[in-house]
This record gives sequence, structure tokens and C-alpha cells, in this order.
Amino acid sequence: MKLQHSLGGLQGLGPVDLQKNVFVHEWETRIFGIHTAMMALSSHLSGSLPNYPIESVPTSFKDIWTWADLRRGAESMQPFDYFRFRYYEKWLGGISGFFIEKGYFTAEELEAVMSFYLREGNLKPAPLPDHEQSAIDEQVLRYLEEGDSGRRPAEAPPRFKAGQSVVIDDPDCSDHTRLPGYLRNKCGVIDLVYPDCYAYFPGPSDRLQKPQISYSVKFKAADIWGPEKSEPDAFIYADLFECYLK
Amino acid sequence: MFAYSANRELESSAKVRALEALLIQKGVLSTSTVDTILKYFDQTMGPFNGAKLVARAWCDPDFKNFLLTDCNAACESMDMPTGMSGAEGEIMRVAENTPTVHNLIICTLCSCYPWPTLGQPPYWYKDPTFRARGAREPRAVLAEFGLTIDPSVEIRVWDSSGQIRWWVLPERPLGSEGMNELQLVKLLTPESMMGVAKVVI
Repeated sequence: MKLQHSLGGLQGLGPVDLQKNVFVHEWETRIFGIHTAMMALSSHLSGSLPNYPIESVPTSFKDIWTWADLRRGAESMQPFDYFRFRYYEKWLGGISGFFIEKGYFTAEELEAVMSFYLREGNLKPAPLPDHEQSAIDEQVLRYLEEGDSGRRPAEAPPRFKAGQSVVIDDPDCSDHTRLPGYLRNKCGVIDLVYPDCYAYFPGPSDRLQKPQISYSVKFKAADIWGPEKSEPDAFIYADLFECYLK
Repeated sequence: MFAYSANRELESSAKVRALEALLIQKGVLSTSTVDTILKYFDQTMGPFNGAKLVARAWCDPDFKNFLLTDCNAACESMDMPTGMSGAEGEIMRVAENTPTVHNLIICTLCSCYPWPTLGQPPYWYKDPTFRARGAREPRAVLAEFGLTIDPSVEIRVWDSSGQIRWWVLPERPLGSEGMNELQLVKLLTPESMMGVAKVVI
């Protein structure tokens, strides 16, 4: 069991943060933008439904970067570290580490430029380098408008049908899963079988390598937390890939 | 041991600036790429889109049924920006609040959010405490947001753990009968379209 996979249901946490702003510090907007640009320039998009001409985009980015990579970075962290860092701090650490690991620049280079901006200030009078390449921005905008749908024709019929009871499987702990920990070994009922099937993103995960049927599964809160320990008349619905059901 | 560097935000700020500068210098990004993305969320893809869809659904029962049956097709049928089925909105579903059912959207594994209709997620949605407690004690969490749900009302919590992006069609507030769509649009907030607030006049 990995703590960040089993966030749902943790107790003793105190009040929720009611902050309605999307970002609490200006710098967070920039890492959001960098991550989104990486997704829009990811080499795996050449095989996506919109058929982006990704090889001809004049960027030096030649790797795969999707939500799965960002999530894998956070999920593979030592769990206690995971909770030491704020949301976008994890993004900044993960994305910086990715570029260093892939050889786009070295840790020393990043450190040197960081020292420069710490010294000179982040905005004026130290602007960003000048490299205008409108075709990069055009691909980014096209990605935002057309996305990267995982919906694919189903290759086999669904194993389960609406109304059927299912037990959620308990796969081995891995650095990436789409199965919330609190649902493992619990009983639910198929509420809806989604049409077609869904491909997840490339890269290592517990069981998501192949496109597969997806379901909306309904759980009674009492069946998850216990009748005495759950709120009355509460239900949880989760969208689950077929690989997690038995 | 329990303190962070006094320079925590300054250091992150310089680090992200250095990262962006290096990516531009190495030809990964253009100087304007990040600004282009942020502008797109400010102007094109944000909660103002969801607000338009909800206001139309409140005024037009056929459109409401369409929105609940096939959110993406309903978006296509309206005069909305291109890209309503784009990134993080490829497949969207809407859960309807009624006098007997209240819906709350959470994402316990990360922070999945319907970009085309609601834009970027507010901080509360990404807060680990919200994500943890939303699953087990939704009524208590909603009370902290100032929303008391009557015990007779069923609570449905939707954990966005798959490829579907969820949002909520809130109830039309009492007293809004005389309002037109443009006036109704102004009543909507991201919170009301994710289930942590009701729409009020």
C-alpha cells in the first residue's frame, strides 16, 4: 500500500483549505504552462487521433510527456516527501528532474541560471531569452483545441454488464496506477459500461498498457468505510478500467 | 525540522524562471509559449464556458437533457469556442443536482478537471486534505464550505479516476425565474459547478 494512492479516506487531517484561486504564487503559473506545452509537444502525439504532425514541429523536445509522466513522478516519490511539497512544487521538481535525466541540460546549468535569476530578479531587468518560433505555439494551441482522446474501438466485448456486482482487485503496488487505494477489495455495482474502450498514456503502470473497457462503478459509502463509520445516504462512483475489476 | 526555507517561494520562482529560460535557449519552447497557454485559459477556456452551458440548460429542458446525455455533443451544438472537446475535455460528463440528490466531484489520485468548461482547478480542489476527506466525509467537507446538505438528500461523490472529466449541473436558485440567460450566467462559480456550493442570488 502506498500512501499517495490511498489518500481517499485518510483521517485526522483537520479542516480543508478553502482557497479559491487557481494559483497562490505567480511562479506556479509558469510551471503549469511548461507542463502543458510539454504535453502538447510530446512525441507520442504522432499516433493520436488528431494526427498531429509532431515530427515537423520545430522544437528540440523529442520525448514523451503526458499526465502519466507527471503523475508517475509524484506517485513514485517517497510518501512522506510527497506531503512535504505543495502541489506545484512537485510539478517543478518532477519536470526539472525529467529534463536533467533526459540530458536537455545539466543540474549545474540549471543551478547557475537559477542563481542568476535569484540575483537579478525574476522579471525585469532579466528577461527570458529571445527565441520566437510561432510553429511551436501553433501546435500548442492546436493540442489545447483538439486534445488527445484515448477513446478507441473496442476489441473485445465488456466482461461486465450494468447492474452486475464486482469486486475490486488488489494489484501489486506500482509507481503508477489509476485505482484509488480505498477501493481495493471492496464490492461495488456496475452503474454504466462506457461505450468503446479507452487507451491510457504510454509508459510503465500497473495494468494500463492496453486499451480496455471502462466502467462507472457505484459503491455504498457504508460498504467502504463501514456502516457506523460513514455518512448516511452517501455513494461513491469511480471510473475504473476493466483491469481493476474481478 | 518543521520549517521551510524563508526563501521557499523566491527559490521556486527563480528555479521555474531558470527552467523556462533554459527550455527556450535549448529550442524546446518559444519565448511566447507559456504566455500563449496562460492567455488561452484566461480568454478561451474557463468557467465562463460552463456558466453559459448551465444557464442554457436552466432555460431549455431539451438542452438540459442533451447536456446530461452527451456533454460534448451539447457543447458542439452551442455557439461555444472551438476546443470544447479539446485537452482535458475529450470526454466530459455532467452530474445533475436535484432537490433529492447532491453531487460532489473529487479526484483522490490527482486533480482531474474539465478544462474546456471550467478552466484550471482552484486550489481547494488540489488540496490533499480535501481529496482525502471528500471521499469519506463529504457532508462534513461541504459544511466547511458553508453548505449544509439536508440529511434526506442523497450524496453522490464522483472520484475522477478514469478518462472521463466530470462536473456538476447545479440547481437553479429560487427567485431567478425572471432572469434571462445572460443574468443567470453571472450567478455561476467554479465551486457551484463542482458541487461545493449552491447557486445563490
